[in-house]
Amino acid sequence: MRNFRRGAIALVLALGACAGAAVGAELLLGDPSGGLVPSAVPSLLGPITEAGRTGWSCAPERAATAKSAAAAGLPRN
Amino acid sequence: MTARVAFAAASVLAFAAAAAGASGQTYPQATSAPRSTDARALAAAAREREIHERFARGVMDEERADWSAAAAEFRRVIVLDPPEPRGSTARYDLALAEIHLGHHDAAATLLEEALHRDPGFAAAAANLVSLHLQRGNLAAARAVADRFVAIAPDAALALYGRGLAALRAGDLATARADFRKLTGADPAYAVAHYDLALVEMQAGRDDVARAELERALALSPGYARASFALGTVLLRNGRKADARVAFDRCARDAEDPALRALAIDLRDRL
Repeated sequence: MRNFRRGAIALVLALGACAGAAVGAELLLGDPSGGLVPSAVPSLLGPITEAGRTGWSCAPERAATAKSAAAAGLPRN
Repeated sequence: MTARVAFAAASVLAFAAAAAGASGQTYPQATSAPRSTDARALAAAAREREIHERFARGVMDEERADWSAAAAEFRRVIVLDPPEPRGSTARYDLALAEIHLGHHDAAATLLEEALHRDPGFAAAAANLVSLHLQRGNLAAARAVADRFVAIAPDAALALYGRGLAALRAGDLATARADFRKLTGADPAYAVAHYDLALVEMQAGRDDVARAELERALALSPGYARASFALGTVLLRNGRKADARVAFDRCARDAEDPALRALAIDLRDRL
């Protein structure tokens, strides 16, 4: 039942503003947390030259191993 | 005498100007003459040259999003079978093109091969996690994310990817640990606070969730999804007036029309 409810909420969110916001609100008033979605999937890292991943000039490998979100190119919201 | 000096100076300046113009021209270096007449050595040199040229053209194609052309170049490089690091790199680059061409299974196989050839290839692991997450294959995403964290334990992308896969799969303990580590390493990253709040909400720890959402909104005041989440936490705890303020804030900041419409409707019902 809970899975069905979450599925229904996800469907409402997917349908968008014009199709079913009112129905979505009705469902969310009962279980508001059902309308929450985790943040976005990270963007793909770009191409690498034939020099390979080692070395300072390989931006994708540097992003993949960076410790800060900005240097890693993680989603901003 | 003065006229001679003036003439000499003018000559020097004219010569310098001409020389400067000539030095501005550059000519490519002549291709070195073959040092062998051995057929095998010449074939190896030609093969090496082809790999080099196709790599350069493939990367340029990808940079201008011509994925079909890039795929053709990297497929040929793989047939030519260069040694490492070019073997794993060609597979990584071809996978990138295949993803954009919609060939996701082929891309996943190529990235696995790249990681098999070079087990420390963090960028290949990162793209494979993203690919599995995009396809909703959580089991595969989690397995690769574990390998990515083993390659780069402190990498923000590794922690984020594994945390996101765990959160979507309902593994709250792993998601909490990864997002906590990420917020510890980069406290200014609002999105990690938001995801951590979702973990705590699912665990029923609404006070902790609310604190994380308030942190996220302090760091990123226009973060509409965080406002929406804060509204839901407050609503769940019976604080309707505060929830209404949060939904109103979301309605003002949301760029996603579905989220905005939902926030407006919830606000107006409270």
